[in-house]
Amino acid sequence: MCGIAGLVNPEFSPEQFPSIITGLLSAIAHRGPDGSGYVMDDKFVMGSVRLAILDPEAGIQPISDEGERYWLCYNGEIYNYLELRSELEALGRTFKTKCDTEVVLQAWLQWGDGCLNRFNGAFGFALYDRKKKRLILARDRFGKRPLFYVQRGNALYFASEMKAFLAIPGFTFEQDPEQLRSILGQWTPLPDQTGFKGISSLPMGEWLSFEDGQAEHYTYFRLGFNSDTQIKNEADALDKIRSTLSDSVALRLRSDVEVGVYLSGGIDSAIVAHLAKTHAGQSIATFSVTFEDAQFDESAEQKLVAERIGSRHLARHIQHSDIAQACPEAVYHAEIPAFRSAFVPMYLLSKLTREEGVKVILSGEGADEAFLGYDLFKETLLRQEWDTLPEDVRGDRLKRFYPHLSHYGDRDRAALTGLYQQFSQEHMPGLFSHELRFQNGRFSTRLINTDGAANPFASISELIGSDGEFQEMSAVQKAQWLEYKTLLSGYLLSTQGERMSLAHGVENRCPFLDPAVLDIAAATNLKFDDGFREKRLLREAFRGDLPAAVVDKRKFPYRAPDTEAFVAECPEYLELLLSDTELEKLPFLNKKFARLLINKLFTTSPDRISTKENQTFMFLLNIALLNYQFVARKGLGSTTSLGRLPPLQRAVDLRTCNAF
Amino acid sequence: MEKIRTFIEEQFLIEFDDTLPEYSNLFMEGVMDSFGYVQLCRFLEKEYDIAFTEKEMTSNVLVSLTQIQQEVSRKLGEKSAHQTPLDT
Repeated sequence: MCGIAGLVNPEFSPEQFPSIITGLLSAIAHRGPDGSGYVMDDKFVMGSVRLAILDPEAGIQPISDEGERYWLCYNGEIYNYLELRSELEALGRTFKTKCDTEVVLQAWLQWGDGCLNRFNGAFGFALYDRKKKRLILARDRFGKRPLFYVQRGNALYFASEMKAFLAIPGFTFEQDPEQLRSILGQWTPLPDQTGFKGISSLPMGEWLSFEDGQAEHYTYFRLGFNSDTQIKNEADALDKIRSTLSDSVALRLRSDVEVGVYLSGGIDSAIVAHLAKTHAGQSIATFSVTFEDAQFDESAEQKLVAERIGSRHLARHIQHSDIAQACPEAVYHAEIPAFRSAFVPMYLLSKLTREEGVKVILSGEGADEAFLGYDLFKETLLRQEWDTLPEDVRGDRLKRFYPHLSHYGDRDRAALTGLYQQFSQEHMPGLFSHELRFQNGRFSTRLINTDGAANPFASISELIGSDGEFQEMSAVQKAQWLEYKTLLSGYLLSTQGERMSLAHGVENRCPFLDPAVLDIAAATNLKFDDGFREKRLLREAFRGDLPAAVVDKRKFPYRAPDTEAFVAECPEYLELLLSDTELEKLPFLNKKFARLLINKLFTTSPDRISTKENQTFMFLLNIALLNYQFVARKGLGSTTSLGRLPPLQRAVDLRTCNAF
Repeated sequence: MEKIRTFIEEQFLIEFDDTLPEYSNLFMEGVMDSFGYVQLCRFLEKEYDIAFTEKEMTSNVLVSLTQIQQEVSRKLGEKSAHQTPLDT
């Protein structure tokens, strides 16, 4: 795992490049504390910071081909690199290292952009063709590793994290009200959104070519849920699910350092831990967060799994004060406004992981999207059939939704019936599955003043309209597609996942994101049941390997205390919301609504605060902190706090070709 | 009935005015969410000692302030018509 950054800029003189690139790399040094390196040309410079996982000695970046025409800065891991390497060697390619980095370079030289679909992994990379002065940026199919870019005139800046841009001379950050409304409405950014004007995220499954000041975009992977895999019967389905996941975990254990597992207490990470232990053939380390508040805590199930597999288990206990204290740092690393606080405990967990000497962890993200784990999918199935179902069937199905939400209980059955009646028809074309969620989001969008009647869902409507195959999908497949494009990539893998892990130099790997796992899920979902027992096949596939209490546990969303933690602790930085002078610094903010919300939350008991109010508060706090850090450049965003360059291991000046 | 207006305004942090008339569909305006809707129903049932059936709830009776007020009035009228002299 690494961080990369660079720029093409005809305005800067090459003499400035060494200091500029070391500034950029210092700002993302946490992603790769083991070493750094850069390569520069007359109008171009790029570099990387490296977390050494494979071939620690030989994997120094940037790397080039034999003729030193092509240069690569690479962040990520290609799990099938050994197989690709064999294939490339058979085609006559030679290798100097044992690293997957070199496989990426040689694969591009052999197959061009055709290599991208062959990669089974998580990556973001920059490849420079010195002869053509052409830069390629590419990102993995699920958006696991980040890559941000800015195009200004003939210049292009790019980096694994936006905070690197703080080190570019003259660069300013400005929050974008239109994007913020979209993010607040959807709960998360769309694949290209960042919340900042002029800064884009390279969308998942895409690559970009930049030459002569012009950028061209290409899509190499389209998300779909049709499978050609033949499944004979349920027993065959269970066999294939077991073997596919087993292979996926085995691939992700390829590492020259110790690998651990994040245990949530749910079935997905338990399966990963069980398979990791089986393949590792020795004791592994498992890590969890625990909470004082029983409504968030899953320590009983975590312990059961740890005992079953005999892991060295460590837990980070989270109190309100931990969340309040670590929030500004976690937000600085996340860079994008988040709708809940649950990423903050993950920031603290990755700190513990690193302190325990573990650099690579596996986790269960991606299982719910692939195997229909969320109530959202069941809700979509129910709403779709709502008008044709008898009252008792509707009631029976409603009973099985959202066990963690008090208002989904029996006493409110009539009210819930009225609610679902309102959402039994599609009002937002293509977005049927997410209309209830977006209803919560609409409340949050009121934080942002509208100039005109901008629709916060215009961008997501445009996104689904741009995918020719989306309209042909079933309602549940559309729901899956939207989950992959929003909550998974825009929050779970990024803010709560990758950004929190890499804040402490820990690389996370997700076996459920293997293309073969997605395929077997697509081949078996809703084929042998009605979908109302979430992830039933996945549970049955591993029933014999895991404690029954974990196999049979209802889906329990990972959450953490939101508003109540901040109201209880009242940290100093809350002044950003409580002071009118501070609120004035957010010119796009609907201050009247913000004040009403804050007053209500500070005078209402936590059990009477709704999900939408918690979310809106978290968004407001995140926006204010990001404004403070990135726009005003204070606190962690001040130029003097931007980090220290990891040991410089390589510096290449292509103008003279002097390298060391 | 003013209590209903106050409850909705406080619960959803809105003010009914020219831009948000009382007849607005609170779902379509993005005012109502699932928790808020259930809270509203609980409030009406407790405040006016009435109970909604699932059948009533499927006929769009509680989507705007105007409709909510009309429905509560109807149910109160129904309730009083069914009361015997001894009940009073």
